[in-house]
Amino acid sequence: MMGSRLEPRLSQYARTRIQVARPQLPVRILAKKHTMAENMLDRHNGVLPTARPNVWGKRLQGYLFIIPAFVLYATFFLWPLIQLVQLSLTDWDGLSPKHFIGLGNYRLLLFDDEVFWKAFGHNALWLLAAEVLPIALGLVLAILLARSPMRGRAFFRALYFAPQVLSSVIVAVIWRWIYNPTSGALNTFLRAIGLGSLQRGWLGDSLLAFPALFIAYTWVGYGFTMVIFLAALQDIDETLFDAAKVDGANWLQQFRHVLVPSIRGPLTTVLLITAIGSFQVFDLVFILTRGGPGFATQVLAMYMYQNAFPFSRVGYGATIAVTLGVIILVFSLIFLRVRNALREEA
Amino acid sequence: MNTDRRRRWLRPFRGFVASVGWTVIAAMIGLVVAVPLVWVVFTALKSSRQVSLDPLGLPDVWHWENIPSAWQVGHFERYFANSVLVSVPSVAITLILSLLAAYAFAVLSFKGKSILFTLFLAGLTLPESVLIIPLFYEMVALGLLNTLWALILPQIALSLPFAILLLYGFIRGLPKELLDAGRIDGCTEWSLLFQVVAPLCRPALLSLMVFNFMWAWNSFLLPMILIQVDSQRTLPAGLNYFQGRYVTNLPLLMAGAAISFLPVIVVYAIFQRQFIKGITTGAFR
Repeated sequence: MMGSRLEPRLSQYARTRIQVARPQLPVRILAKKHTMAENMLDRHNGVLPTARPNVWGKRLQGYLFIIPAFVLYATFFLWPLIQLVQLSLTDWDGLSPKHFIGLGNYRLLLFDDEVFWKAFGHNALWLLAAEVLPIALGLVLAILLARSPMRGRAFFRALYFAPQVLSSVIVAVIWRWIYNPTSGALNTFLRAIGLGSLQRGWLGDSLLAFPALFIAYTWVGYGFTMVIFLAALQDIDETLFDAAKVDGANWLQQFRHVLVPSIRGPLTTVLLITAIGSFQVFDLVFILTRGGPGFATQVLAMYMYQNAFPFSRVGYGATIAVTLGVIILVFSLIFLRVRNALREEA
Repeated sequence: MNTDRRRRWLRPFRGFVASVGWTVIAAMIGLVVAVPLVWVVFTALKSSRQVSLDPLGLPDVWHWENIPSAWQVGHFERYFANSVLVSVPSVAITLILSLLAAYAFAVLSFKGKSILFTLFLAGLTLPESVLIIPLFYEMVALGLLNTLWALILPQIALSLPFAILLLYGFIRGLPKELLDAGRIDGCTEWSLLFQVVAPLCRPALLSLMVFNFMWAWNSFLLPMILIQVDSQRTLPAGLNYFQGRYVTNLPLLMAGAAISFLPVIVVYAIFQRQFIKGITTGAFR
């Protein structure tokens, strides 16, 4: 799906040139302006010849083209990854010599660490909530933008998407102020409309902190799903809806039998991307609650950070990082597999 | 009979009424999105006294001077400069290196190609938070801690896999005949890449540029861990530090927040199409 929207546009001139000369050639190439390509088409009268491959030159050149990217990637991605796995097998505190302790950290983490399982539970809960609230909201807004007779679609699309471009720190600063118990916008607003009894210390309350965090995330998170759904909705053939209307389908039936089946691919994609994101949650938690009060909002990335840096349990922090990486890897592999399946279907 | 006539009279207006109704609903939702941001700006322009007495009202005196004073107190010029100095090179280098690598993977043949490609693909699956611990000690060992290089280099390494994958798919979609014709005309691979292929990849490059720029600009974890001196902080890390110090001075804090998001919102308002497309493309990483 991503490919189709990024396909370069064909200049009319080049299109006719190719079609005349090579009717069997798939016509989906060439951007609007590119004199070089057009000149070539001209010179060869539209029939582009096949060159004899210069194997040796290419082979050397292949390495030359890849080496700069690979050196950077190996130094700042692959090497740290190897280091991480090594660290996770030690009891390193960041200063004294490392002691190899085998799988000791993993044993402790998986079988003897309540906080880890609490954090894992919070990530799982976050995943469940993120699969429902921002996605439903995004779908509703996409339907509003695509299918209601409203005015100013482009403006509202841009407005609804706007929080998505803000850094998580700005989002956190804003919501920290909204939730502030004394001068915060939420409590002040409740007082102003006479609901002062509902005032809370939102982020300091162990029951409310998690939902409060999640609301702040939702304010940002729906924008992405909305845009994905919007693109899918605009691709639906309008005659499908007309046919459903002629058959007497009400809006709910149209939703179930026309709309939902046509966005199945994007929906699956969004569900999986959300799942991956749910295990990466860090910035908002770090700035708003630091995992507290108590462990009420502790998540895996936060627990990893705390162990590795403030607590100086680098080896243990690395163990959490590896575990987190494996969880994300599993979701990513599912995602890649499903995406390929969807592509083949399309 | 009577009601029938009235309905007939209303019919031309029904579409209009529906469109106004739905636009009003859309505007109300828009308000929920925009109110926190607008409120931040209003609070930034109030006096400290008014903030505590009348937190919801409009500023009775507009204290425009709050913005420059927050700028000065918070050293935002430094943070902005650092953010630019990190984001621009990391995006530029990512685009050039990924274009080179993607071209080699898509067009050229050499030994070990598929292994190298798979290694790059592995990078798609892991976020920076997983690697932050070894990255920290690597930067210590390289003596790059507290320099902007500590942010630029990992940012490029993390951005490369997706950029390469996207451009690879794009270049594979180009007709082979085009490249062959170029070679017969005497193009080297190098000029073929930069004069034929790169211009054709413009839509993909543009999306990648927007996405990678936003990623680098908003990145928080890397500067939070790898930068511990104020002079090298980027905007997100700087704002976080600022809010820790001035949590009680609400107008100043909100002025700092406004300084951080207003430029982004303005640029976004101008290029929103490219932004939406770029960020959405990048999310498939």
